[in-house]
Amino acid sequence: MTTTETETVTLTIDGIEVTAPKGEILIRTCERLGIIVPRFCDHPLLEPAGACRQCLVEVEMGGRPMPKPQASCTMTVADGMVVKTQHTSPVADKAQQGVMELLLINHPLDCPICDKGGECPLQNQAMSTGRTDSRFVETKRTFPKPLPISSQVLLDRERCVLCQRCTRFSDEIAGDPFIDLLERGANQQIGTAEDKPFQSYFSGNTIQICPVGALTSAAYRFRSRPFDLKSTPSVCEHCSSGCASRTDTRRGQVMRKLAGNDPEVNEEWLCDKGRFAFRYLGAKQRITRPLLRDESGQLVEVSWTEALRVAAEGLLAARGNRGIGVLAGGRLTREDAYAYAKFARVAAGTHDVDFRARPHSAEELAFLQTQLTPTVTFAAVEAAPSVLTVGMDLEEESGILFLRVRKAVRKHGQRVFTLGQWSTPGVEKTHATLIKSVPGAEASVLRELSVGGELVDALSATGSVILVGDRAAEVPGLHSAVAELATRTGAQVAWVPRRAGDRGALEVGAVPTLLPGGRPVTDAAARAEVERAWGVTLSAEPGRSTDEILAAAASGALSGLVVGGVDPHDLADPAAALAGLANVGFLVSLEIMTSAVTELADVVLPVAPDAHRAGTYVNWEGRHRPFAPSLDGGGVLPDCRVLDTLAVEMDVDLFTQTPSAAAGDLDRLGPYTGTFTAPTERPGSTPRPAQVGSAVLATWRQLLDDGALQVDEPALAGTARAPRVRANAATAERLGLTEGGQASVATDRGAITLPVELADLPDGVVWLPAHSPGSQVRSTLGVGHGALVRVTAG
Amino acid sequence: MSDILTPVLTSRWAQENSWTLETYERTGGYRAMRTALAGHPDQLIQLCKDSGLRGRGGAGFPTGMKWSFIPQGGEGAGAKPKYLVINADEGEPGTCKDIPTMMADPHSLIEGCIITSYAIRANFCAIYVRGEALHPIRRLRAAVAEAYAQGYLGTDILGTGFDLEIVVHAGAGAYICGEETALLDSLEGRRGQPRLKPPFPATAGLYASPTVVNNVETIASVPYIVAGGAEWFRTMGSEKSPGPKIYSVSGHVERPGQYEAPMGITLRTLLELAGGMKDGIPLKFWTPGGSSTPMFTAEHLDVPLDFEGAAGAGSMLGTTAVQVFNETVSVPWAVMKWTEFYKHESCGKCTPCREGTYWLVQILERMVHGEGTESDVETLLDVCDNILGRSFCALGDGATSPITSGIKYFRQEFLDLIAEQPAVARPEQLADVELTGAPA
Amino acid sequence: MFDFFKGFGVTFSTMFKKVVTEEYPEDFPPAAPRYHGRHQLNRHPDGLEKCVGCELCAWACPADAIFVEGGDNTEEARFSPGERYGADYQINYLRCIGCGLCIEACPTRSLTMTNFYELADDNRQDLIYTKEQLLAPLLPGMEQPPHPMRLGKDEQDYYVQGPVLARQGVESDPVGEQVR
Repeated sequence: MTTTETETVTLTIDGIEVTAPKGEILIRTCERLGIIVPRFCDHPLLEPAGACRQCLVEVEMGGRPMPKPQASCTMTVADGMVVKTQHTSPVADKAQQGVMELLLINHPLDCPICDKGGECPLQNQAMSTGRTDSRFVETKRTFPKPLPISSQVLLDRERCVLCQRCTRFSDEIAGDPFIDLLERGANQQIGTAEDKPFQSYFSGNTIQICPVGALTSAAYRFRSRPFDLKSTPSVCEHCSSGCASRTDTRRGQVMRKLAGNDPEVNEEWLCDKGRFAFRYLGAKQRITRPLLRDESGQLVEVSWTEALRVAAEGLLAARGNRGIGVLAGGRLTREDAYAYAKFARVAAGTHDVDFRARPHSAEELAFLQTQLTPTVTFAAVEAAPSVLTVGMDLEEESGILFLRVRKAVRKHGQRVFTLGQWSTPGVEKTHATLIKSVPGAEASVLRELSVGGELVDALSATGSVILVGDRAAEVPGLHSAVAELATRTGAQVAWVPRRAGDRGALEVGAVPTLLPGGRPVTDAAARAEVERAWGVTLSAEPGRSTDEILAAAASGALSGLVVGGVDPHDLADPAAALAGLANVGFLVSLEIMTSAVTELADVVLPVAPDAHRAGTYVNWEGRHRPFAPSLDGGGVLPDCRVLDTLAVEMDVDLFTQTPSAAAGDLDRLGPYTGTFTAPTERPGSTPRPAQVGSAVLATWRQLLDDGALQVDEPALAGTARAPRVRANAATAERLGLTEGGQASVATDRGAITLPVELADLPDGVVWLPAHSPGSQVRSTLGVGHGALVRVTAG
Repeated sequence: MSDILTPVLTSRWAQENSWTLETYERTGGYRAMRTALAGHPDQLIQLCKDSGLRGRGGAGFPTGMKWSFIPQGGEGAGAKPKYLVINADEGEPGTCKDIPTMMADPHSLIEGCIITSYAIRANFCAIYVRGEALHPIRRLRAAVAEAYAQGYLGTDILGTGFDLEIVVHAGAGAYICGEETALLDSLEGRRGQPRLKPPFPATAGLYASPTVVNNVETIASVPYIVAGGAEWFRTMGSEKSPGPKIYSVSGHVERPGQYEAPMGITLRTLLELAGGMKDGIPLKFWTPGGSSTPMFTAEHLDVPLDFEGAAGAGSMLGTTAVQVFNETVSVPWAVMKWTEFYKHESCGKCTPCREGTYWLVQILERMVHGEGTESDVETLLDVCDNILGRSFCALGDGATSPITSGIKYFRQEFLDLIAEQPAVARPEQLADVELTGAPA
Repeated sequence: MFDFFKGFGVTFSTMFKKVVTEEYPEDFPPAAPRYHGRHQLNRHPDGLEKCVGCELCAWACPADAIFVEGGDNTEEARFSPGERYGADYQINYLRCIGCGLCIEACPTRSLTMTNFYELADDNRQDLIYTKEQLLAPLLPGMEQPPHPMRLGKDEQDYYVQGPVLARQGVESDPVGEQVR
C-alpha cells in the first residue's frame, strides 16, 4: 500500500460519520466536526503527551468497545472507529468530570489575582466540565510563589496542571530545554536547574500556551484583564519574518502582544523580541510633536504648519542648490517606503534614495535585482532537504525562520549548513554543519566548496534553499559566490534581510538603481512607464547609495537630506555618516524616537510607529502582511502622509495621503516585466592577522540587544545573551586571554572590553556582538565584520 | 508435601556458592546456551512459543510472541539494532523473587539473556536492577564479569560469531521504572516516566530501536526450556499457564519464603508448605500478586494461582507476591499504607494517578484516625473509579485495587471507622493487646 | 361653607401630629442599614487593603462606572496580603446606578457599600472617586500601608487567625465595615 496525501479513513463520532486523513489525531477530527473535547496537554504543534487525561472519550474498534476510555489527543483515527465523546457517552462524561475534579483539588483559588483569569482554559473547562462543588476537604499542596524562572517568566507551581506544554515547547520547538519536570507524584513541578534560568529567545510562547496561570509574564503582571483589552490583529515590526501577532491595548496603551496563528508564516509562535519589545511606544525618547531648530540652535516644538513650511523651504532651496538625498531606513511599510521612493523622484528630483541603513555594497544591489520575485516561502524552507545559510545566524537574526528550520530538522532530518565563524546556539540547535571561515573570506570558502563535495551534493537535492542574510553585503564577492553555488546546484536563493521594511522598500523602488516594481532606472521603457504614471521626467543615471549620499553630503556635493529613521551607528562607518549629516546644508528627519540624526536635524517631523499606523510589511518571502492601527490617534501621522504634505508644501503631489492611497498609486504601476542580468563577479579579499596581538573581527547582532525598539524593557533585556568576546583556545592563548577574564578589542577609534568565552572560531578570529550593551562595534571601533583589530587581555 | 514443589529456577539456591560460575557450570549451566547457539534463532522463538512461557512480571504476556514481534530483516525497523532489556526493577510491595534469583543464581539470568539475545538478534542487553538492591547488583556484575572472562559474553561467543554485551544498570529507586517504557526512558538517561504507546518497545523501544523487555524470572526460565524442551515445561502448570513459578509468601505465616511450584497452586497448599498461619491466628485477607492485585479473603483459599484462575476470581496473578494478613490487621490501615506507597511512587505524569493518590491518602488517613465521614467510603470508590482506566499507565490502576477490593470485602470495617473507631491503636490500647500494623 | 372649615380643619389638626418631613440638610437622618450608598474599600485589621485589584467589580458593573488597575506587592512595599493589590481604583458616581452588583462580585469583601448617600456635586471631576477617597479610614490598631503583614507568621495565620490576633493587640474591635 502506498501512502498518498489523499488517503483517508472513515469513522463515526457521536453518530456523525466523518472522513479524516489517515494518521490524524482523534481530537482534531472532533474539532473539525465542531465537537470540542476538553483538553490541556494537547497542542496541535507539539508532540502528543497524553498527560492530563482530560480528553477521554469512549472508543469502539471493529465493533468491540475498548475497555477503558481513551485519550483522544493521543489516538489516531482508524477506519470503522466509533467514537463517543462526552456528548453521547456517560462514561466519557464521567471520566472527564472526574479528571477535572482531580485537576482542581490542588489548584489554588487564585482566579481573582491570576493574570490568566478570564482567558483561562482551566477556568473555562472547569465551567463546562467540572462539578459545582468540591468534595475535596483535605489540605492542598502548596509551593512558594511566584518563582521567577527568568527575568520575564514567572512560575506559579501551585496553579500548574503539569500538562508539559511548556517543557515540550522548549524541548521540541525552541530547543532550549531549560525547564523540565522535577520531583514526582503530587510534588512534581516545573523547574529550572540551579543557576540556569530559562534563557530562551522563545520563552514568551510558553506563557501563551500555558493552559493555566502557571507561567505569567513579568512585564504584563497584573496590568489588565481580558475584558479590558481591545485586541487588534497586527504584524510584528521587529524582523523580516512578518509574524502575525495580536496587539492588546487598554486606554491608549499597548499592554501586551501575543502570537497570532498563521500556519503559513509563524505558525503560533513569536520570538520574545516580537512579544515583549513594545514599550518604545511610550518611551521618553518618543517624538510626538514637530521640532524646529531655532536661532540659538535648540530644537523647539512648533506647529505642523510651521515645521512643514520651513522644511519645504529648506528642501526647495537645497534642491535648487546641489540637490537632495533621501535615506529611507529599513523599518518602513511598503506604502511608506513608496512615499520615500516617489518623494525622491518627484519632489527631490533625484534617484539618490536608499533604504539600506546598514553596511551595503553595489554587488548587493545587483544581487537584490535578482531577488525581486521571491520564490522561497516558509513552507518551502520547511520542505527543503537541505538549507545553507550565508551571512546570517538564524536564531539571532530571524528567530521564526530558525524555528521552521529546526522543525524541518526534527521532522524530516533536514541538512543544515551554516557559513559562519562559530557554533552558535542556533547552529547547534539546528544540528547544522558549520562551514567555518575567517571573516571576510566567506566568498572564497564558499567558492572552494562549490567545486563539489558534501555541500554541493546536499544542495543539489531538489527543493534545497540558500538563505542569504543582509550581512552578506559586508563580504566582498559573497553574493556572486552564492549565485555561482545556486547555479551549480539548482538550489533556490532567498534573501532574508534583518529588518521588517527592507524587502518592501526594495520592491517599491527606494533604491538608487530601481524604480517601483523593480524597474531598472537604466531601462528606458520601464522608466517611461513610471514617468507616465507620475507625470515627471526621470534621469537615466542611477542614483547614489546610502554611503555615497552621505559622503556627498559630507563633501558638500549635496545640499539637503531627508532621513527617515536611520541610525548612523548602524552604517559601515558611523563617523563618516555623522560627518555627512552634520555637514549637509539642510537636514529633515522623520522619526519616531530621538536619535543621532535628531541632534543634527534642522526640522524633525514625528511619524507614527506601527501601533498608530496602517500599512503592509513585505516579509522576506515577499508575502504582503497588511495590518491596521491598534491605537487610535496619538497625534502622529504615517511617513507617507507626512511626505505627501511636505511635497504639497514643495508644490508637488505624491498622492500618498493615506497608506491605502499610496498602495493604490503603487499598484497602478504594476511589476516590471523585463529581465535582469546576474551580478558580476567580484572576488573577495582575505584579510589575515598581520602581527602579534591582532585578530580578524567577526561580528553580528544578537536578537536581544541595544536595539532602539527594545528600550524600556528590563524584563526582556534580562534574557539577552551576555555580551562576550569569543575566540578559540589557541587564539586566546596566543593573545594572552583567559576564559572568564577580560579582553579588550581595539582599533584606533576605540576599544571594547568584555569577558572572554572560548568558542570554536577559526584561528586568529575574535567575535563580538555588534550592538549589545558594552559592545557597540561600529560606533566604538569604526569597523565591522572582517576588519583587523588589536586584542589584549584586561 | 515437598513433592508439590518443582525446584527449577530455585534448584541451585541451596548449593554452596551457588552464584559462582563454577557451581553453575558444575550443575549443568551454560549447556543450554551451547545448544541454543548451535541452532537457528527462529527455532528458539518457536521453542519459546511452544513452551507457552508467559511473562513473569505481572501481565503474563506470551514471551515467544513478544520475541516474534521484533522486526527482522535488513529493511525498515528490522535494520536497526535490537536490544534486550531485563526488567529487574522489582518494586511491587511483597514481591521478592527476582532479587533472590539474582543473588543466588545470577548465571541463569545471564544464560537466559544470551539465549534470548541470540533469538531476537540483539547484540546488546541491559539489565535494569532496582538501585536499592545493592547486593544483587554486585553479584550480578561479578557474574557478568565471570561470563566475559569465560568467553560467554563479548565478541564471537564460543566461536559462533555471535556478539553480546551485557550492562548491569542500577536504577535510582523509582517504582514507576518497573513500567517497561519508563524503564527504557530511565535507561536512556531521561526522567523515568512512561511513554506513549504505540509505538510499542517491540518497534521503538530503547533508543527508538526494536526492544524486548522481559522480567528476570521469565528470562531465567529460558535456559531450562532450551535444556528440557517445551514438552517438559508443559508438564508443569496448566494448559494456558504452564511452567513453574516462584511464589513469594510473606506475612503472617510460620515460614515465609520463596516456594517454587507449578502454576495453579492454591493458597491452601502454599499455606501448608509455609507451615500454616503464624501462631494459628486465622487468615483475614491476602494478595495473590502484590498490592496492585485486588486482595482475596479466606474464601479464596482454593483459587488456583495461575493467570486464568486469579483473573477468574476477580484479581490478577501479578508477580505472585502472596502477602498473607491475619485477623489482627485492620484492612483500612493496610490499605492506607499501600496507598501511601502509591502516592509516594506516582510519577506525576498523568492527572488521575498524581492527584488521585494524593487525595485518596488524605481521605484514608483521616478515616483511619477516626475522622471519617459517612460519604467518605463513597468518595473513595468514586475517586478510584475516576483513576481506574483513566490513568496513563497501570500504576494508577494498581493504586485503586487495594481500596476497591478492601471495601468490597470489608466495607463494614471502613464504615466502622466513621463511628469514632480509629484503626490506629491508641497508646492505652497497645498496653494490653499487641496489634500488628500499629505504627512504631 | 363647611368645606372652608373642613379644609382648615385638616391644617389645624396636622399641626398637632408628628411631622413626617425630614429636616434635610439641617438634620442628617441615616438611611437604612442596607442602603446602597457610597462604596468603601475595607481593610484588614492591621490596615492592609483587602482589595486585590482583581477587577471583578469592574467586570460586574453594568454601567461601566468602575476602573481598577492591579499592582504587584513587593517585599518592600506591601499594600495587601498576597501578590496583588489594587494600584488604581476609581468609581465614577456619575455613572454608578447603585445596583450593588460590584459588591456581590468582590471575592475578598473589600468592596462594600455604606449608607452614605450625599453623592452630588457641581462638577464632573469631583464625582470620580479615587482610591484614597474610597478607602476605609484607619481605625485604632491599623497602620497606613505599605507595610508587611502584621498578623501571624504566615498567610495561613493572617487569614484564619487575623481578626483574633488583631483583637489581642487592640482593645477596640477594628473589624467590621463602617457605617456613618
